[in-house]
Amino acid sequence: MQRLGPYFFILPAVAIMATGLLYPVIQAFYLSFFDWKIGTDLEDAPWVGFRHFIRMATDADVLESITVTLRFGFWTITIEMLLGVALALLLEKPIRGASLFRTVFILPLMISPVVVGLIWRYLFDARIGWINYYLGYLGIEPQVWLGDADLAFFAIVFTDIWQWTPFIFIIVIAGLQALPSEVLEASKIDGANWWQHILFVKLPMIRSILVIALLLRLIDVFRALEVMYILTGGGPGRATELLSLHIYNRAFDTQQLGYASAISVLLILIVFSLSFAILVIGNPMKDKADV
Amino acid sequence: MKTGSGTLWTLAGAAAGALMMGAVTAHANPYEKYEGTTLVVSWPALAHFTAAETLLEEFTEETGIDVEVDALQYLKLRDRQLLEMSKDEGEYDIVSWVVMWKGEYVSKGLLTPLSQFFTSGSLVDPQFDIDDVADAYLQNGGVVGGKKGYMPGKSGALYGLPFGAETSILAYRKDIFEEQGLAAPTTYDELIDVMSKLHAAGIPALTSRGKTGHQVTAGWLLHLAPMGGKIFDDAWNPVINSPEAVKAAEFMRHTVKTGPKGIETFGFGEASAAFLQGDAALYLDTLKIAAMSRNPKLSKVDGKVGYALHPTDVRCGSETGGFAMGIPANSQNKDAAFLLIQYLTNKAGDQRMVELGGDPVRISTLMNNADLFEDYPVVAEQLPCADPDWRPLIPEWNELNIDVLGQALTQVITTDDPIQPIMDAANEKARAIMEREGYYRWASYREGN
Amino acid sequence: MSPFRHKSNVFGHYATLIVLALITLIPIWVMVSTGFKNDVLVQQKEPVWFLFVPTIENYEYIMNRGKFDRYLWNSIIVGVGSTVFTLVFGGFCAYALARTEFRGRVLVANSTLLVRMVPPAVLAVPAFAMVVNFGLDNDRAVLIFFYTALNLPFAIWLLFGFYKQIPVELEEAAIVDGASPMQVFVRVLLPLMTSGYAVAGIFTFRISWNEFILALLLTSRKTRTLPVGAAGFITDTGVEWGRIMAMGTLIVIPPLLFTFFAARQIIAGMTAGAVKG
Repeated sequence: MQRLGPYFFILPAVAIMATGLLYPVIQAFYLSFFDWKIGTDLEDAPWVGFRHFIRMATDADVLESITVTLRFGFWTITIEMLLGVALALLLEKPIRGASLFRTVFILPLMISPVVVGLIWRYLFDARIGWINYYLGYLGIEPQVWLGDADLAFFAIVFTDIWQWTPFIFIIVIAGLQALPSEVLEASKIDGANWWQHILFVKLPMIRSILVIALLLRLIDVFRALEVMYILTGGGPGRATELLSLHIYNRAFDTQQLGYASAISVLLILIVFSLSFAILVIGNPMKDKADV
Repeated sequence: MKTGSGTLWTLAGAAAGALMMGAVTAHANPYEKYEGTTLVVSWPALAHFTAAETLLEEFTEETGIDVEVDALQYLKLRDRQLLEMSKDEGEYDIVSWVVMWKGEYVSKGLLTPLSQFFTSGSLVDPQFDIDDVADAYLQNGGVVGGKKGYMPGKSGALYGLPFGAETSILAYRKDIFEEQGLAAPTTYDELIDVMSKLHAAGIPALTSRGKTGHQVTAGWLLHLAPMGGKIFDDAWNPVINSPEAVKAAEFMRHTVKTGPKGIETFGFGEASAAFLQGDAALYLDTLKIAAMSRNPKLSKVDGKVGYALHPTDVRCGSETGGFAMGIPANSQNKDAAFLLIQYLTNKAGDQRMVELGGDPVRISTLMNNADLFEDYPVVAEQLPCADPDWRPLIPEWNELNIDVLGQALTQVITTDDPIQPIMDAANEKARAIMEREGYYRWASYREGN
Repeated sequence: MSPFRHKSNVFGHYATLIVLALITLIPIWVMVSTGFKNDVLVQQKEPVWFLFVPTIENYEYIMNRGKFDRYLWNSIIVGVGSTVFTLVFGGFCAYALARTEFRGRVLVANSTLLVRMVPPAVLAVPAFAMVVNFGLDNDRAVLIFFYTALNLPFAIWLLFGFYKQIPVELEEAAIVDGASPMQVFVRVLLPLMTSGYAVAGIFTFRISWNEFILALLLTSRKTRTLPVGAAGFITDTGVEWGRIMAMGTLIVIPPLLFTFFAARQIIAGMTAGAVKG
């Protein structure tokens, strides 16, 4: 191919990503130095220097939102990883009909987050929700799931686990099934028992898959907002207001677009450093030939 | 595609217009010039406005002016309206705003002063009689720039007419009250007592809004005014940690403890539904509850509801809220838009709204129908108590409402933490916002001199 | 068969799978069934699973008064539009990255991965600002543009993997026969890439079809997509559960069809991110 050929091929995609993703990120930096309000011209917005950043550094609400995000990430990822890996190990052996089950398991990943939020909002409803009704059989009083800080937090964690455990399950099972059988056979011959086999042979071999899955989920935690937007709107208080939702609420509920941009900058930094970790561990597009 | 469907609408409008022509050519017709126009109206998805859609159809039939409604959840209206109104050519010809946004809209120059139309002899119906429109509604929703910027005053100007405006009254379940041997409370002390008694009898007492943000603040404000509290003193110092404000917060806590389950998650819809579905014995919020309780689609309690004045504590003070509608500065069909607003709010339109299950804005309509609806005489008596300073309708209110009070009051109703420190902290936050927005500059300037 | 002390228990295996499948399916059934219930049943505290007289009144409402046709049309245009652009431009880019050496190749590859992670919430304010300041009023084009940008990184990543699997010799043979790079791309590679493009297409379409936050901000009355339309049934008089669930059911149909007809490809796409090859 001629020397300019490759550039011709990559140019449209790069141009779109640059204006559609990179430019907005830069714009977010820029906006964070202004106090812009919806309905006024951006040119008229007063320059406020680092005021938004200074405010952010001492803003208990931002801190609370970060804490909520981290707690949410901790619980969801821990449970999803444990559950997903355990199920994958348990159900790894190919059996008849496995593909049908796998089809069912990816459903929660395919349906719209808005719909996921709606379904669970209905199920968790204090008055007509099914969850309260069936807990009643266990002698548990009806709970205001989405109106109590701890219960609402539980509700978003639960919903996330419902939606994302299958993701871990499926990629781990794919990883396990791709393991070279010679190594596994060798370990069997060595007389390792089932536990040793899993702990010392299988899991280490899929280590990079686990780490990447973990990082992908961690990044998702910082990107998530749609389910919570529908389910709780971030409430009660800020109990379920993940950082992304916090930015959205600050920007469009209370119209602090500049300040929301400053928080966006923080979010970008967090997400990019996590992504960088993935890059270091293994960019699939980086193959031996070109480094 | 956008232009395509636009053309289609214009064509449909023109066709409708052509049909009308035959009937009206004999007389000069104030609407004639605008036949075939399509007006786009942005308003909330509330029962009053849903009912008004029938009136819009009648308007189209009568005038040949087409109307398309964009109905949204009311707290989502502002973003949408601001975005459209800040374009060169916005989509909306009429916007309906919650009274608390009027200051922001006007200060950003997004609305058309109605004087522009009231000076036009060809547009204004001489029988319109603006003095008949309830003054509390007109001042609160439509007049901007008076005392403090949002209250009545000589410097104010008219930007909108009330439509779906409201004050608060007490609604109670007559059957339950009778069964329990209770009387409708007239004071807060009596109310608190009634709530405890209902709760003790296993009946959820007062429903309320309690969802984080705007909703929980709205619930609290309802009690702040009668208890003698305010958000700001006359020098814009926040006083939301005053004894009155704390007392109102305590009352909210009492409400949650004795009321239906889930108040912490209730927005306006859920709070009303709890009463309408029979899950609460008391409702103390907008007068809209009366029309809703008569609507079989929404209510299971029709015929069982009694109405009383908003209870008093140290004074009588009921809500001023709801909606007003006006014309964006960037509308392309301002005159026709004015004609529609006039049509909806004139005496005939107001009466028609009552028949359709909406709420009137005119005193004459209230009086003429007083025999028909139990709540109308109560509303007429309540209106003089409607507090024009019920909440500060300043642009900064939005942030105070959602970010400061909305958060603090959630803590009040979802925890058992002492209330005073919560409100003290909120007060500090409020002060910081006012400081930032320059409200104390005059004071410090004077001190400096 | 198993040399381990652990006895593989086929019955237990199936039982576990069935329980998991039920946990997955029940909430979805709740949605579908609620869409066919009248208001009385929906508001009733006691759940009704199967035994009720289904009604289509919710569907009638959203079809007739809910502007469903308009939302559907918008969703289709935006979904198909962004998918086509993503596949065409993403395909070119992935091809160049997989097959050629050029200055900046690693930079492009790495930054593609980085921008893949940009949170939609970060885009919200700047995208809003861009629309307002540049006076962009063709909402659907704006949405197609942002969805294409959001989808490109992952599509490139996926397609890159698929291109890598095609032996270079095929192209070399074509070049020897005197084909231009474009001819090689269209005649030799594309036919082999059908399944790759199918996977990338499904993922792109699904994200565009489901996306909510940007659509909420950037669309107006005439250009709203289905998820935004559905959220509109959360009204001021409460959530209209019957209607919203009916709308939800309709929104879920295309992703559901994809899942059943292309589960294998979807799983391939999901695992491509973490499992190499």
